[in-house]
Amino acid sequence: MAEFSFNVDHGYLEGLVRGMKAGILTQTDYNNLAQCDTLDDMKLHLQSTDYGKLLSSSDENLTVSLVDHKLRENLVTEFSCLRSNALPFLSTFLDYITYSYMIDNVVMLITGALKQRDVSELLPRCHPLGAFEQMAAVGIARTPTELYTAILVDTPLAQFFQDAVSESNLDEMEAEILRNKLYKAYLESFHSLCKTIGGATKETMCPVLEFEADRRAFIITVNSFGTDLSGADRSALYPSCGKLHPEGLQLLAKAEHHEQVKAVADCYPDYKIIFDDPVPGSDFKTLEDRFFEREVKLNTLAFLQQFHFGVFYAYIRLKEQESRNIVWIAECVTQRQKSKIHNYIPIFQGTN
Amino acid sequence: MSSLLRGEEMCLAQLFLQSGSAYDCISELGELGLAEFRDLNPSVNTFQRKHVNEIKKCEEMERILGYLLREIKKADISLPERDVNPVAPLPKHIMAIMEQLQRLEVELGEVTRNKEKLQKNLLELIEYTHMLHVTRSFVQRTCEREPLQVQYEEFPFLEKDTVMDYNSMQRLGAKLGFISGLIQRVKIEAFERMLWRVCKGYTILSYSEVEEYLEDPETGEPTKRMVFLISYWGDQIGQKVKKICDCYHCHLYPYPTSNDERNDVVEGLKTRIQDLHTVLHRTEDYLRQVSIKASESVYTWVIQVKKIKAIYYILNLCSFDVTNKCLIAEVWCPVNDIPTLRRALEDGSRKSGATVPSFVNRIPTSDTPPTLFRTNKFTSGFQNIVDAYGVGTYREVNPAPFTIITFPFLFAVMFGDLGHGLIMALFAFWMVLYENNRKLKNTRNEIWNTFFEGRYIILMMGLFSIYTGLIYNDCFSKSLNIFGSGWSVKAMFTAEVWKPEDLTGNKFLTLDPNITGVFKGPYPLGIDPIWNLASNRLTFLNSYKMKMSVILGVIHMSFGVILSTYNHLHFRKKYNLYLVFLPELLFLLCLFGYLVFMIFYKWLVFSAKDSRNAPSILIHFINMFLMQGDTVSPLYPGQAGLQVFLVVIAVLSVPVLLLGKPIYLYWVHNGSHRLGMYRGYERVRRNSEEELYLMRAHDMEEGSSHSDLSTSTEHKKEEFDFADEFLHQAIHTIEYCLGCVSNTASYLRLWALSLAHAQLSEVLWAMVMRVGLRTDTRIGVLFLVPVFGLFAVLTVSILLIMESLSAFLHALRLHWVEFQNKFYGLPVSKDILC
Repeated sequence: MAEFSFNVDHGYLEGLVRGMKAGILTQTDYNNLAQCDTLDDMKLHLQSTDYGKLLSSSDENLTVSLVDHKLRENLVTEFSCLRSNALPFLSTFLDYITYSYMIDNVVMLITGALKQRDVSELLPRCHPLGAFEQMAAVGIARTPTELYTAILVDTPLAQFFQDAVSESNLDEMEAEILRNKLYKAYLESFHSLCKTIGGATKETMCPVLEFEADRRAFIITVNSFGTDLSGADRSALYPSCGKLHPEGLQLLAKAEHHEQVKAVADCYPDYKIIFDDPVPGSDFKTLEDRFFEREVKLNTLAFLQQFHFGVFYAYIRLKEQESRNIVWIAECVTQRQKSKIHNYIPIFQGTN
Repeated sequence: MSSLLRGEEMCLAQLFLQSGSAYDCISELGELGLAEFRDLNPSVNTFQRKHVNEIKKCEEMERILGYLLREIKKADISLPERDVNPVAPLPKHIMAIMEQLQRLEVELGEVTRNKEKLQKNLLELIEYTHMLHVTRSFVQRTCEREPLQVQYEEFPFLEKDTVMDYNSMQRLGAKLGFISGLIQRVKIEAFERMLWRVCKGYTILSYSEVEEYLEDPETGEPTKRMVFLISYWGDQIGQKVKKICDCYHCHLYPYPTSNDERNDVVEGLKTRIQDLHTVLHRTEDYLRQVSIKASESVYTWVIQVKKIKAIYYILNLCSFDVTNKCLIAEVWCPVNDIPTLRRALEDGSRKSGATVPSFVNRIPTSDTPPTLFRTNKFTSGFQNIVDAYGVGTYREVNPAPFTIITFPFLFAVMFGDLGHGLIMALFAFWMVLYENNRKLKNTRNEIWNTFFEGRYIILMMGLFSIYTGLIYNDCFSKSLNIFGSGWSVKAMFTAEVWKPEDLTGNKFLTLDPNITGVFKGPYPLGIDPIWNLASNRLTFLNSYKMKMSVILGVIHMSFGVILSTYNHLHFRKKYNLYLVFLPELLFLLCLFGYLVFMIFYKWLVFSAKDSRNAPSILIHFINMFLMQGDTVSPLYPGQAGLQVFLVVIAVLSVPVLLLGKPIYLYWVHNGSHRLGMYRGYERVRRNSEEELYLMRAHDMEEGSSHSDLSTSTEHKKEEFDFADEFLHQAIHTIEYCLGCVSNTASYLRLWALSLAHAQLSEVLWAMVMRVGLRTDTRIGVLFLVPVFGLFAVLTVSILLIMESLSAFLHALRLHWVEFQNKFYGLPVSKDILC
């Protein structure tokens, strides 16, 4: 029934986002970009796409970090346009998208403060989508409890702090654990939000979030090898909204080396392909890239249905992947690594 | 005229431009706007082309110009708007312009930066003075309140300190610290809350609002700010407090410890603020001077840079020949303009002082050239109406010259009113008279521009409406009795059919035209004005307008079908004439042409005397299809036979239309193999010989670059697919046959709209104007003024604007759908307006 009145509140924005989706670079664009010899050539080519004058309006010299910065700025402009026009439910949904960036920012600021970096140096490196007012004060906190009670209690992140409050001193390990705990709470909360919204939003968003949860579980496991994180500690960090829950997560908690993780993945056809050994002759891809590929695929599926919020999440995610691709190509161009230039993850292959 | 009907004759020409003079030649050609360049290096990426660096330079200049324009706008200097059209500067002058621009940019940027820095300084100083001013009261207050707070103090171990007065606390120096500054008003609450949470109450925050609005240095908007003073104990907390202040973007200023110091600082600040003000004024003056200097030529530069960029863009389309040191460009150009083109090239070569002239060479091609219609300000509007439906292929017949008459005419049939037409024509005439007025021409109002662009269409529509208004005898819903009515009421009395008491006894009386003297003959022009008084006026006009619509529609459609012969003949498809055009025309004329014949026959044969016996055309027309000629009395002898004959012809023409063309083409391509072999072989050989010769000639002229030319002249053998052809013809047949019925019905909109217009204007007269005219003469005069105002406003807004827009749309549809699909060859989506 929600579909009937969807367009009253969110029709404009959905149309807008679908229009912006048409501006996502196509395979031809990537092929052309991969042919470039300098960043200026890339700038010239990007002018003929939806990015338009984005890069040419600056008078500074073009560097990869400037490209990255501009792309990010562009994404933020688009997002804030959507956010400022959004009505309830969609606005909450869009806020939820920013929370993941906020978590990353908080953890980055903490680790930065631990390394005695200046806040003014750290702030520009934070993702602007996850910016919040109290951000600069994060470095003051000594323990997660202090972080929560003093600084983050007013921010939307407070709701994710239930499990993360502890008195142990913040060091790098603790910060990483904090990030994962926050992420776990965030993903579970986002998952349940999408469930309550229901309808097509649930149908498109839940698989994406479940995949995200499982990816985190896998990555935590793989990264914890060789550290002093025990299996029980690990299992406290796994988000429980994924497809792996509960059997897979239990197995993952017991895993000791890569082969065992692979054995867990083999039980799930979706993840089996990701952990499969590469076919001889094809390009080697890192685990991260394979996860990204899968994520892009899931996100593109969101555009097949109408009247749901999944397109907004998918668009932001795809656009982010596109920025990563462009930056990758730009890096390859500047470092003259032409052989690796094709290791980007294409979005909308062939169909567009 | 012939060029408008057919489109201009085009040819492919090759330009050989000496590399030295290529820029000037292209510049000359660009000013003329005669040629369309073809891309000769389609496989080369944009950033791999030859002149990409020059284009980049142009973009850089455009960026600087954009910056200059923004700055000039910010300084509120109006740009001198002139109709200048400077030619593109020489390549060697480009660098000079570039340098000039860069110098201006640097200068402007520096001054602006300086100004901003000064402004920021000034703001800081002002903030500081405000802070000092406000905090003075804090300290006084704290001194007064200190004793009172003792009871509520939460930290007993500090009691001793708080009991001490302000000065004694200061003596404890190491422990007590002050941080003071300004913060945005919206942030103060969150700021206070965080201070409390982080420092657990070891701070005292007092704040108050600055009364004036201070400018925000980042956004430039005036915002309210708060002055705050934090007193804290201990260094560690002090660091935390500083971090929190940073986090909330507070502007911190040193807090003077004693009153004397404070006074000194205030004095110092005052003088510094004054100094800064004078410096700032100077800077602003200088900035303005620079901006004014830039604004003088910025407009010219914008155009020049655009032209340079366009020239290099064209040069990128040319292929470069290394051995001969010349550029080769291929252009589509009207055949008649080749001499002009040649002259432009000569001019360009002469200007650049090249020793070897550039020249033009016509080359044969099998590609379809682009379509060009040369229009003037009168025809361009009508051409636009046609082009909106679809631009015809090269040399296809162009209906625009006919549209010039038919469009306003069909519009006027729906908008027939002398008065309204006159107002519309006068309005359009005013626009035509002042068309060179720059204010009218350069307005940015989109709606106004639409009207202005179509001023000649509106003029024609107005003139035709005057004509149809005369025919309908309708002027603001009233009739004009110019020539004297052909009817006489008096004759009814002289013939003693009516008696004087009949007039009082009856509400309606009917004039009988059969009585001598009542009807003296038709009115010389249009409808007799007496119908305006008749109660059966609507019945009479409906019958008349409905028949007229059908007649106009059938004529218009037949004309469309006939126009298709132009295409068939020009594209050498004679078989289309017999297999498509003839059956189409027969189908249309046998059915609907006959209907028109019957309408005219009835008008001519039946007069007032035997009008009672006049048959219904509708019944006859239906009977014609049912082949039941004997149920009603025939209109004329042999009617049944003729009707059967016509229906049979119409029905027979359908299979001819459906199957004729595909079968004929199939026969030509397959069946006649043996027959046409000899001739076909001969023709192919001659063709290839010609090509070989041409290619050889090219080789000699241009060396290596023949490879892509030979692909363009390559003869493509047409594939023939019977199923495809049959399917297209089937679709066309179904569309045409059903279309004939529905399109004829569609022309009835002429009647409907004209009726609606007449009725609306009559209602307006009856409901508004008549009320004003009926009131007593004394009040009436006064009352009439507002009533007429209302009448005028409603006439213009509803009848002139709304009604004319609707009539315009319907005329547009009649042209696009009913008329142009009868002969347009190109596939366009035909349900634009359906």
